[in-house]
Amino acid sequence: MVGLPSSGSTAPTSLRKVTHRHLLIPSGVLLAIVVGFFLWGDLTDSVIYYLTPSEAVDQRADRPDGYRFRLGGLVEQDGISASDTETGFIVSDGAASVQVVHTGAVPQLFRVGIGVVVEGAWDGGVFRSDTLLINHDEQYRTVEDDQPYQIPTP
Amino acid sequence: MRRPTLADTAPPKTPVLIGAVSLCLLVGALYLALTAPPDQQQGEAAKLLFVHVPSIITAYIAYGIGLISAIWYLIRRSMAADRISSSAIEIGVVFTAITLATGMIWGRYVWGVWWDWGDARMISTAVLFFLYLGYLALRRSIQDPRIRAGRCAVLGIVAFVQVPIVHYSVLWMRTLHQGATIIRPDLANSTVDSAFGLPLGVSILAFLSLLLFLMSVRVRVTSLEDDLSRRLGTDQPVGALIVPPRLQGENGG
Repeated sequence: MVGLPSSGSTAPTSLRKVTHRHLLIPSGVLLAIVVGFFLWGDLTDSVIYYLTPSEAVDQRADRPDGYRFRLGGLVEQDGISASDTETGFIVSDGAASVQVVHTGAVPQLFRVGIGVVVEGAWDGGVFRSDTLLINHDEQYRTVEDDQPYQIPTP
Repeated sequence: MRRPTLADTAPPKTPVLIGAVSLCLLVGALYLALTAPPDQQQGEAAKLLFVHVPSIITAYIAYGIGLISAIWYLIRRSMAADRISSSAIEIGVVFTAITLATGMIWGRYVWGVWWDWGDARMISTAVLFFLYLGYLALRRSIQDPRIRAGRCAVLGIVAFVQVPIVHYSVLWMRTLHQGATIIRPDLANSTVDSAFGLPLGVSILAFLSLLLFLMSVRVRVTSLEDDLSRRLGTDQPVGALIVPPRLQGENGG
């Protein structure tokens, strides 16, 4: 070190020990929690943001009616229906598809072919959702044929 | 001991030049962004791309400069490296905040929510922000310049681990956030139409030159502060020594 008037050269040994122990115990506890979480915690539902329709159908038995999870896929061409309070549509990943009945507001960008994430639970053969999020992709393309952009209506 | 004069604080020509260049680029980027066509999926909301993406790229590069100059400090013990590192990280935090703010506004319009605690990209970016805020807090908490520089260099290196985590979060995990648009595994298949690519590119250049400009100013201010505190012979941060001018007719106080 350069000749700075040292502010702590007489007392540092005991001070430093305390500081290190103060750091060591919380970080050890934190590490134990993280490791324990990965070893014994059931992380599938909290780490995976949403299930694909294929996974949801395959694991139907693991998620009884009323068990909440997120489901994500593309809105299919056919099967969109809307009443005052409910919107019905089919979410697909190409291999499997799930009939969704959504209660509540529908985002502006909702339309055929767009990615959605719905939150809710199985109710027999249909998925009842109360949260509908748009999950657009990373493609940025201009509107074809110079058509003015219009907010799509379901 | 010579008292500092006005000539000591007059800005040198280079930062002014960089500032002028970045201003021109920003105006150009703004023009290109405003005249860009709407996106097929998102309409006009996709214009946020031209702020959101350049600001996080600028933040990544700022943290990268912070990392490299922190390593440089630990090798050479140069206070100039410490100044560069801290200035870069400080500006990186600002650009991370801009990224979070624009992302939330964009998300509210397009996804339908401001924020989602289940999303890996959002959580990791928030962690990045608070990690580097912690760095700034650490700088404030240590008075001795050498001890501060050493400890901050270590944190500046460790915290950089979060940068690749943020970037790859959308590739490693399923997220509500879209996948990578620019730095992605299959670079050949561009995800961005050329009508958006040009304004995006100019905007990234503009943000990077802005980073350079802000850094040149910040490094200079820090070095003037260090200079002043050395002349005053104190380890106190000089900020506390600066008092507002007294108004006329105000007594003592």
